[in-house]
Amino acid sequence: MRSIPLLTLLLAGWFVVPAHADEAQDWLTRLGQAEQQQSFHGTFVYERNGSFSTHNIWHSVQDGKVRERLLQLDGSAQEVVRIDGHTQCVSGTLIAGLGDAPSSAARALDPQKLKNWYDLAVIGKSRVAGRSAVIISLTPRDQHRYGFELHLDKETGLPLKSLLVNEKGQLLERFQFTQLNTTDMPADRDLQPGDDCKAIALDSDKASAAKVAQAWHSDWLPPGFELTSSTARKDPQTKIQVNSLMFDDGLARFSVFLEPLNGAAVIDTRVQLGPTVAVSRRLNTPQGEMMVTVVGEIPAGTAERIALSMRNESAASSKQ
Amino acid sequence: MSREALQESLSAVMDNEADELELRRVLNAFDDVETRETWARYQIARAVMHKDLLLPRLDIAAAVSAALADEAVPAKASRGPWRSLGRLAVAASVTVAVLAGVRLFNQDEIAGVELAQQSTAQGLVAPQVKGPAVLAGYNESSDATGPMANGVLQGQPGWHDQRLPGYLRQHAQQAALKGTESALPYARAASLENR
Repeated sequence: MRSIPLLTLLLAGWFVVPAHADEAQDWLTRLGQAEQQQSFHGTFVYERNGSFSTHNIWHSVQDGKVRERLLQLDGSAQEVVRIDGHTQCVSGTLIAGLGDAPSSAARALDPQKLKNWYDLAVIGKSRVAGRSAVIISLTPRDQHRYGFELHLDKETGLPLKSLLVNEKGQLLERFQFTQLNTTDMPADRDLQPGDDCKAIALDSDKASAAKVAQAWHSDWLPPGFELTSSTARKDPQTKIQVNSLMFDDGLARFSVFLEPLNGAAVIDTRVQLGPTVAVSRRLNTPQGEMMVTVVGEIPAGTAERIALSMRNESAASSKQ
Repeated sequence: MSREALQESLSAVMDNEADELELRRVLNAFDDVETRETWARYQIARAVMHKDLLLPRLDIAAAVSAALADEAVPAKASRGPWRSLGRLAVAASVTVAVLAGVRLFNQDEIAGVELAQQSTAQGLVAPQVKGPAVLAGYNESSDATGPMANGVLQGQPGWHDQRLPGYLRQHAQQAALKGTESALPYARAASLENR
């Protein structure tokens, strides 16, 4: 009969653990919905190694239409205006004329999918920007991605604070609201783009972008990462076509850039900039030597392995 | 040296409890047949106590010495064994290469982490260099040499200097354009532009 309390204990444990995970999952679902349903405006800071900046955000949801404007408050006035996830204009040096592939509409956060690659858990409570928050941890299940700690607003589910942490528990970047107003709608004039905000030019050649995706594949990708977009653009200075592929696992992202070297003598390299790593490796293809550069918020070893795994399939591609 | 002291030392060596002095004593006495026999007896006794497999009278030291003494120059072996030995060597070197590869890969990762550590260290050191307070007149862009001044990009020659900032920017902006989660990718992109 001694086994009965033990059994109950075991059963209780069995039920408690998934409940915890489910709770975290519910919070992430709420987070996904909050940005589609909740109007707010506020100020946040972004910090990574060597950089600290403050920004304003205005976010309005009216009749199912999501309008958002972001403005950097210190240094140059970087600005972005988005409507329903589509970027309308960007300002200052942010402008680079990039290709926004047609399929690149914002993808919602999918907790079901994230669960495969991260352990989701509610790990406590906190207070951010004068509001009570619940802390959700996303711990990677393998060494190919970083962990997140999200502090979500108890009232609305909005992310008040987000920390990116490497496998040693070192902080790589911090995003944190200092002030948030969810009761008043942002004023219309605050959502109007400033004079310096310029409409973005879609200079990616869509046909060749699709060809890029076909021509290149990776022998190895970290589990869970999928191709989400591909672009082909000519560098305005060098006139060389640079192809790129972007992958994500629902949370972390990396881009692979492929550029012909045209005989340039270049060494392989690796740099780390806050949370972002860039790894370059030369690759011999039928069209000559190419430089494969992986850029993303992933561990350096993983980026390296991806760079070494890129393969060109069709000899006819990227011959421009 | 008394026989008893030596036997005690022998026993200690066998139990792996001998200090350096005792070990030396035993090694010095090991040329002596009697000592070796005592050692063998102890081994047998222990094997019996532990019910271990027992190979009595296996005086390897003597056997090896004898074998070495009348060892002839090895004749050239026939091809068969060498070939299999060769295969073994290949297999072994592959194993070594794989192990080395794994190690290298891990080292890479460690190096990457160290990079992050260095970066954080730099981040911590920087304010001290700047002084206890950042004055209103302090202009951050004045000593910055480029967008990556605070990163690890400095000192990368030529090609990468031109390409990497663009790549980093395109990655950050493309992520920001996707805009799935909050304003984080936008903030990352903006942070690259702060010269």
